[in-house]
Amino acid sequence: MSEPEIKPDIMRISWGPQHPMSGQTRILLDVDGEIVHRLIADLGFTHRGIEKILENRTFMKGIIPIERMVMVDTANIGLGYVLAIEEALGVEVPERANWIRSMICEMARINSHLYAFGLQAEATGYFPAVFLWTTVDREVLLDLFERLTGARWSYNFFLPGGVNADLPEGFQDKVIEGIQYLRGRFAQYWDAMVENAIFEMRCEGVAVLTREDALRLGATGPVLRGSGVDMDVRRDEPYAAYGDLNFKVITETAGDSMARLKVRFHEIGQSLDMIEQVANEVPGGPVRTRAPLFARAKPGEALSRVETARGELGIHMFTDGGMNPYRVKINSPTLRNMYVFERLAELDEVLIADVPVVINSIDPWYLDSDR
Amino acid sequence: MPESAEEALIEALRAEHLDLVEEARVIRPKRVAILARREGFLDLARALRDEHGFLHPVSAGAVDYPKEYRIQMIYYLMNPSSRFMLTLRVDLPRDEASLPSMTRIWEAMSFHEREAKEMFGIDFEGHPNMVPLLLPPDWRGGYPLRKDFEGEGAEP
Repeated sequence: MSEPEIKPDIMRISWGPQHPMSGQTRILLDVDGEIVHRLIADLGFTHRGIEKILENRTFMKGIIPIERMVMVDTANIGLGYVLAIEEALGVEVPERANWIRSMICEMARINSHLYAFGLQAEATGYFPAVFLWTTVDREVLLDLFERLTGARWSYNFFLPGGVNADLPEGFQDKVIEGIQYLRGRFAQYWDAMVENAIFEMRCEGVAVLTREDALRLGATGPVLRGSGVDMDVRRDEPYAAYGDLNFKVITETAGDSMARLKVRFHEIGQSLDMIEQVANEVPGGPVRTRAPLFARAKPGEALSRVETARGELGIHMFTDGGMNPYRVKINSPTLRNMYVFERLAELDEVLIADVPVVINSIDPWYLDSDR
Repeated sequence: MPESAEEALIEALRAEHLDLVEEARVIRPKRVAILARREGFLDLARALRDEHGFLHPVSAGAVDYPKEYRIQMIYYLMNPSSRFMLTLRVDLPRDEASLPSMTRIWEAMSFHEREAKEMFGIDFEGHPNMVPLLLPPDWRGGYPLRKDFEGEGAEP
């Protein structure tokens, strides 16, 4: 990226991509003393051309590269792509498969939010232990993924027409066991993070995003809901089994870094309830309709939307009658939130010391924004 | 009476801005596609934001159709109250693909237009900061998401 001009009396600091807290991106900070006047994100360090890769693979084979977009949240990303294929090919999904999909997606959401908590605790500089806790606790979920899908990460479990396998014997009991353990742990996280005075000082009132700005700047996911906007694809446009599951859209009104964190906290509680509901009430029946593995879609387009842990993912797939998609446009949530991040220093006072807290409060995943 | 919010929007646009809209249709519930004319595109975008409540920008991208000699630029927009996805499209000729920048209407289209410029070679007039978003600054391989892209090093 060629760098924009620097105003007089302003120093420019290049932060990342080697900085431990920056992730795979570079942020330019225009600072005057301790106050950050402007944030400039330099993306693209992890650009792999996934959209072009998908054009050169059959519909089925695209599931594998696209799940690499967000490794902690592969279920939600993969589901977005599979839903687009199903719309393009006109494939029906059995009810039981939809419920299993919702369960896995919620487990992935918890997995992703756990990672976000760990990083936010690291960013405040005071709780490196929390990162270890979250890493240990997500093992519960990874073990469940392994038992169900055979893989701990990137399970490629969703296929057009359903899911790859039925729930194994005794899986629901293991799920309930895991949920009970996690509920106890989240009570501890709440005390250690949200209720903690030092954590409050680092996060409360930092980088406030108002409701109007969040809408105008195209924020999504917990960033948008943390500013009091009541939008969630799971409720607005139910896919999988979300039409039948009981949940409310979580919003916070403060719009600061703490509010975005609290949204994630409450969403985990909702996800646990939803997983429990699926484990108790999952309907019987087949888990997959036979969809052809190599199919030609008739010319047209399909646009699917799913709510990933970071916000709304859109997959716009164009088909021309061939074996491969003609073009796949990925509307990634992190790219939208990164624009909001760039503007935060102008909307509210941000100090140099706050930058790691601010960037982690939007929970970026650069492989998602760069694709 | 129109049956849904989607159809109500299309009827309103046909009534008010018939000269700016080439084609408008409901693809399926919650999905509306509007193909706009290139002339007056900015006016239509402004009307959508100010009169029809599409103040929440989602994304933007393009599709290349070399056989028909056009590139279609697509803006994804959302109205926070009716909550359907509007895809606002405009066809551009491949050899002089240019469009007024929508950053005047939706500031957040900045990143997406930078991506469309480097991936498809669409010029956005009046964009405040047109530098590559994802590709390296010394990239010399042409426009990767065009259908005739042959790899890095080929002439654009």
